[in-house]
Amino acid sequence: MPAGRPGPAAQSARRPPPPLLPLLLLCVLGAPRAGSGADTAVISPQDPTLLIGSSLQATCSVHGDSPGATAEGLYWTLNGRRLPPELSRMLNASTMALALANLNGSRQQSGDNLVCHARDGSILAGSCLYVGLPPEKPFNISCWSKNMKDLTCRWTPGAHGETFLHTNYSLKYKLRWYGQDNTCEEYHTVGPHSCHIPKDLALFTPYEIWVEATNRLGSARSDVLTLDILDVVTTDPPPDVHVSRVGGLEDQLSVRWVSPPALKDFLFQAKYQIRYRVEDSVDWKVVDDVSNQTSCRLAGLKPGTVYFVQVRCNPFGIYGSKKAGIWSEWSHPTAASTPRSERPGPGGGACEPRGGEPSSGPVRRELKQFLGWLKKHAYCSNLSFRLYDQWRAWMQKSHKTRNQDEGILSSGRRGAARGPAR
Amino acid sequence: MSRREGSLEDPQADSSASPLTHLEAKIQQTHSLARLLTKYAEQLLQEYVQHQGDPFGLPGFSPPRLPVADLSDPAPGHADLPVQERLRLDAAALAALPQLLDVVRRLQAELNPRALRLLRRLEDAARQVRALGAAVEALLGALGAESRGPGPEYAAAAATDSAGVFPAKVLGFRVCGLYLEWVSRTEVDLGQLAPGGPA
Repeated sequence: MPAGRPGPAAQSARRPPPPLLPLLLLCVLGAPRAGSGADTAVISPQDPTLLIGSSLQATCSVHGDSPGATAEGLYWTLNGRRLPPELSRMLNASTMALALANLNGSRQQSGDNLVCHARDGSILAGSCLYVGLPPEKPFNISCWSKNMKDLTCRWTPGAHGETFLHTNYSLKYKLRWYGQDNTCEEYHTVGPHSCHIPKDLALFTPYEIWVEATNRLGSARSDVLTLDILDVVTTDPPPDVHVSRVGGLEDQLSVRWVSPPALKDFLFQAKYQIRYRVEDSVDWKVVDDVSNQTSCRLAGLKPGTVYFVQVRCNPFGIYGSKKAGIWSEWSHPTAASTPRSERPGPGGGACEPRGGEPSSGPVRRELKQFLGWLKKHAYCSNLSFRLYDQWRAWMQKSHKTRNQDEGILSSGRRGAARGPAR
Repeated sequence: MSRREGSLEDPQADSSASPLTHLEAKIQQTHSLARLLTKYAEQLLQEYVQHQGDPFGLPGFSPPRLPVADLSDPAPGHADLPVQERLRLDAAALAALPQLLDVVRRLQAELNPRALRLLRRLEDAARQVRALGAAVEALLGALGAESRGPGPEYAAAAATDSAGVFPAKVLGFRVCGLYLEWVSRTEVDLGQLAPGGPA
């Protein structure tokens, strides 16, 4: 019987079918039903693995004692779709052949269902086709260690990604100068192509790390990444970030933070970055040259404006390492507002809105709501701009579109606006 | 009479409550469980066919309904039997299903390793049907009807090399179908046993 022909240059890595398990008693398609005398059939090849674009020759051979045990009238379906009769031909009285060319990638990872049917449509036999591509070399491996206690790596699958076959990725690592290969076990921790090594990592000695991709059609291995854990350390963001005014200075804010406590016992210098933006803007400005300090003064800001500020940390120089570490995540945004300008605006000294701001009506309503909020959340009765700024940050978080809606509302009503009660 | 886990409390322990009340409550509880599992079994079958690909999900898909490990569909005359006999048959079927569902889960773990929800549903189904079977057995005990006792250990298969991926898919389809048929059959049978149901 002609076997399926894999595509050229393909070493079809055929996996055996799933083993029968000890508890299973199954009358398999292809084995005659006891006592029924019914016809059955066998498809060959069973569960072939093929390259995309290759051809397949398959046969359906009918077994049985009845006069109807003939290949006459048999037809094929692939994934439930009947195949054109011109692709089939009878090889002999009991065998129908099928020729498929230029196969597409499998529709599901469990294999495409090629089924042989009797004339009346009943299913006689089936075989699952695995059509796909071998994996390409994974690349772009990056790793980081949180506080020198673990290692997390992620990578990019080969250039095309989609192999149409289940592809297994395995992250391997070993100490460079000695030791055996180890396999990472905790996958998908920070995305589909990632793995986490939680413990038993050595410092001051390089590791070799690579990724192996395997599927039915072959395997591929990434380049080896060599690193020392100390060179890829990151940390939690700096805690306790406070932003406050600098006296009455209209254009300045002071930012203070604490260095990450997890690394306090290690000899390292940290460098920090600050970024800030105006409340209603998406454009961040970054202050890059904040070295080993835990405070910074932002200048050149707009008066009477709420700013959101974040800080992140890079623990470079751990144990004398010359390399920069890996930047932490940004801290949670902290908000503060610069003092309003002392110069009187239009209308003579009142808290007049500037161009583009909502009218004083909403501002007064906001203040009323703020006082109500104060009663619930503040344990001191002193009204302070610091508390007001914290509230603004909270409002910003929980009613992101409120300012948008106010802008729209000022030009026309809109139903179901979110935000504070009007 | 064999009593399994989950047997009823001795009604005489609480002399102030009528024994019938406990039994009725247990019947209703088991009936509710069967109704819930019927819904889960429908969802399991839908999820299963999605991952196998067409024709499994197509209307009218009908592979040969071959017997699976001594477990077959409810017989055509099942509904005509006395209710206790029906429940005995239900209990026997429910006792056979956990192992079969586990087999299917292991096969699917190889065929569809990324179908985590399907694998979880299969695992849950095995556990849930075991609980329902135990509850039905407990009811049979409370009704004074003998259960059939522990089912036979299913012997190792006469392994054939002709088994392949397609038969494995068909097996799972068959088992999920049997699971649905038997839990819904149990729901109907318990419904007739419940107070207010037909005699």
